[in-house]
Amino acid sequence: MKKYNIELAVGLFVLAGMLCLGYLSIKLGKMEVVGGKGYEIYAIFSNSGGVKQGSNIVIAGVEVGRVKNIALENYQARIILSLSSKVKIQEDAIASIKTKGLVGEKYIEITPGGSDKFISPGGRIRETQSSVDLEELISKLVFEKI
Amino acid sequence: MLQIFLLQVILLLSLTFGMEPITFAGEPQEQLRQTTDKVLAILSDPALKSHNKLKERRELILKVVDERFDWEEMARRSLARHWAQRSPEEKQEFTILFKELLERVYMDKVEGYSWNKIAYEGEHIDGDYAAVKVKVFTARDQTIQVEYRTRKKGHQWVVYDFIIEGVGLVNNYRTQFNEIILKSSYQELVKRLKTKSTQN
Repeated sequence: MKKYNIELAVGLFVLAGMLCLGYLSIKLGKMEVVGGKGYEIYAIFSNSGGVKQGSNIVIAGVEVGRVKNIALENYQARIILSLSSKVKIQEDAIASIKTKGLVGEKYIEITPGGSDKFISPGGRIRETQSSVDLEELISKLVFEKI
Repeated sequence: MLQIFLLQVILLLSLTFGMEPITFAGEPQEQLRQTTDKVLAILSDPALKSHNKLKERRELILKVVDERFDWEEMARRSLARHWAQRSPEEKQEFTILFKELLERVYMDKVEGYSWNKIAYEGEHIDGDYAAVKVKVFTARDQTIQVEYRTRKKGHQWVVYDFIIEGVGLVNNYRTQFNEIILKSSYQELVKRLKTKSTQN
């Protein structure tokens, strides 16, 4: 009887440990369990410039969503943005790929527009700007001087 | 039998009357090419090259560019959220100031042009919007990537934004104007634009 109790306690302990691990991996991996709140829109960039699944989407520096998926479509990058349902994006908003600092991670910044039409779930941000290749720009500047 | 006949008639009618103004593939690019060619022709006209003809030449270029560029749309998009709060008079005034700003920034570049060649790299039409990619080869053997964003207005494709080497015009001014307005006020922005325009 006593042995049975100990076994039960160990079993419960292991189970609790596994649940904690599961919770941690979802939290740390920033995964979403079944859908999550919010909606999705997509954007086509001529160059995704190193944005990855899970990259941040910000407006005025505030995180409003994450990149859900990146796929190649017609030799362009089609990026699905998963946004918080509280945030509405105007039809003339501009999505641009930016870098944190000079060599930091990539993220997508949305500059809100002035239109009174909003992009509905599944819609598209038409105005996009791919990442600026700083190295290339600097090299152009350098060679211009010669 | 009668049903099929009716269906055919309806189909035929809808084809003939329901047609949108036809858009030819290549139209946005072609219209941009025409405008660019006109500007290049003015620039290379020997009769307009002398110094005292400078003003006349500028006016001619502006007239050509005016037809292709939708200044109001550009100004509206650049002012973004703050546009709706402006009165019609303010909107008009701002559009003129914005146009003058672009004139000052880009006219020198256009006039001092040493472009060897312009290559049209195709367009992407999406309903009433189209993007046209252009590559400019300078005399120094450099290439500059320019992407025009156009939209259909009647039969014309007008430019509402352009992106040079990945840096967008509207996005750039949108950020700047927003910062100035949030830090001070719209009036301050107008004041700054006005002082800049009198400096020239």
